[in-house]
Amino acid sequence: MDLLASLAYGFSVTLAPANLFACFVGVFVGTLIGVLPGIGPVATMSLLLPVTYALSPTASIIMMAGVYYGAMYGGSTTSILVNIPGEAASVVTCLDGYQMARQGRAGPALGISAIGSFIAGTLSVLGIMLLAPPLTKAALRFGPPEIFALLLLGFTMVTYLTAGSKLKAVAMALLGMLLGTIGLDPITASPRFTYGTLTLADGLGLVPIIMGLFGISEVLLNIEKGVEQEVFDTRIKGLLPTREDWKRSAAPIARGSVLGFALGILPGIGAIIPTFISYALERRLSKHPERFGTGMIEGVAAPEAANNAATGGAMIPLLTLGIAPNVVMAVLLSAFLIHGVQPGPLLIREHPEIFWGVVASMYVGNVMLLVLNLPLIGLWVQLLRVPYGILFPLILLFCVIGVYSESGNVWDIVVMLGFGGLGYLMRKFAFEPAPMVLAFVLGRMTEESIRQSLLISRGSFEILLTRPIATTFLAVTLAVMLAPVVVPPVKRMLRTVPLEETE
Amino acid sequence: MRGRELGAAAVLLAFGLLALTQARGLRFGSVVSPGPGFFPLCLAAAFSLVSLGLLVRALRAPTGGPSPRSGADLAGRLKVVGTLIGLLVYALVLEPLGFLLATFALLLFFFTALQRQRWPVALGGSLATALLTYLVFKVWLGVNLPGGLWSF
Repeated sequence: MDLLASLAYGFSVTLAPANLFACFVGVFVGTLIGVLPGIGPVATMSLLLPVTYALSPTASIIMMAGVYYGAMYGGSTTSILVNIPGEAASVVTCLDGYQMARQGRAGPALGISAIGSFIAGTLSVLGIMLLAPPLTKAALRFGPPEIFALLLLGFTMVTYLTAGSKLKAVAMALLGMLLGTIGLDPITASPRFTYGTLTLADGLGLVPIIMGLFGISEVLLNIEKGVEQEVFDTRIKGLLPTREDWKRSAAPIARGSVLGFALGILPGIGAIIPTFISYALERRLSKHPERFGTGMIEGVAAPEAANNAATGGAMIPLLTLGIAPNVVMAVLLSAFLIHGVQPGPLLIREHPEIFWGVVASMYVGNVMLLVLNLPLIGLWVQLLRVPYGILFPLILLFCVIGVYSESGNVWDIVVMLGFGGLGYLMRKFAFEPAPMVLAFVLGRMTEESIRQSLLISRGSFEILLTRPIATTFLAVTLAVMLAPVVVPPVKRMLRTVPLEETE
Repeated sequence: MRGRELGAAAVLLAFGLLALTQARGLRFGSVVSPGPGFFPLCLAAAFSLVSLGLLVRALRAPTGGPSPRSGADLAGRLKVVGTLIGLLVYALVLEPLGFLLATFALLLFFFTALQRQRWPVALGGSLATALLTYLVFKVWLGVNLPGGLWSF
């Protein structure tokens, strides 16, 4: 199919009332939780999983994706106005955004972040359209050894990009994969670690684990230390940036988009790292690097563009290979699987309505976000004034309802609480939850691919070294492992970058 | 900090060794034809090794002075434990009592024990929230919530 014809088809799917509504709900909820502290896109998307049973697969994915990029928009609002990043991907926005707000320029800061996000979102959709079809063709040649090597690369990236101890990240990834082996063996279907119980035969649920690690534990931390709520009291007027602002922001937005998109494709990167890199890049390119951090509009425009573009980039491995490159995409993957749709090389051919519908919905969603965020900014600011004492019981209650309604089993609430406590302790002891969740999700695929590889090769690990694509992935994996040792600037950069969607 | 790290690594190592003994009970198969126990055993072994590495690293780290503990720290921690226990009890009574009653009790506990709201506010807030969530999720969205003693 011709690209434009495909896109037109996608729009016809998206503009169907049910899908349009799903898109609106998605971006609305996304903005909401992006603004509110203490709950992020990962927990929200898993909370919404049970709701999607009632929807068509297309509407579900459209809604889920909307939550994610909506949260990116909302997160920047709190960064600018209160110096609290609503999402981890908006941390960098605080640096110059909050300073702009203090100088009475909150309006242009919010404006440029929304517009920059919009441009980047649109560019990344364009990138998906152009890159996904050829990548799909390449992906069809992937067998178990290639998949295994690619997964290995993904895990290496995730652990090496983790802030803090790499050894701890490796431990968490292994632990996640180990927990993933509970249940039936994927090849022989014999029970493992079930101890004769029926509840464990299905394995631990992804939703309770994610809700525990990302929802409950976050609330527990907030309860412990208390949440500061000081809304910067300023009249926000004149959201439109001046001509001077435009001139200064145009190139940073373009660079941030390209950088974010390219980095977002790589497994393990997520939306946060690109924001740091693009901020650093702008400072290096600027004639006045010393003025960054004092309210430079470039420092808002570039990272905001980068995190939105990265969202689009991250869709590529999911849509073409069926591999989740980060935790958010892992939740999206389970949304596909709930509806019996396997994302991967065959997705475009077998479910064009989903692929092109979702792509087109991202255009539509970006327009909706622009409308939601610019004129309605006052409403979102008011939300920041809701006391946390009222907010946290509600968040906990929603988590419980979400988990229970998915399975109708009280056991899942207990699992969620267990992982909530675990996640709380993990943060306290500086263990990252993201590698664990990702490994939990991808563990089954990893096991299948290595066992099938060994079956094909009759027990020889050489199969990983004799197939060009697999060997290339392994070589890149090795390079990633060695890069911090060999190239000092990479090491320095990694030390300053936090990981993933820990909200 | 050294004691904390040491403790965490020891717990992980214990878990890894436990997993190792459990995984040995599964059929390993062979490298030519790996059985159900192949992957878990490899993972448990690797996990134990990494935990051992963490343990060694914690042992070799310099001993820092005891980190300061304040009363606020303790109060915060009590709140965390209280919240978890409250939710656990909630999970256990959810089906016998039903959503409305259990939720009302849970919220009352949060508002009074953890936040020291005044009783009228706590009672009203809990009742309104329980009713409202019930109406939205059970009646409007048709979410599967246990009716228990009181339902409509």
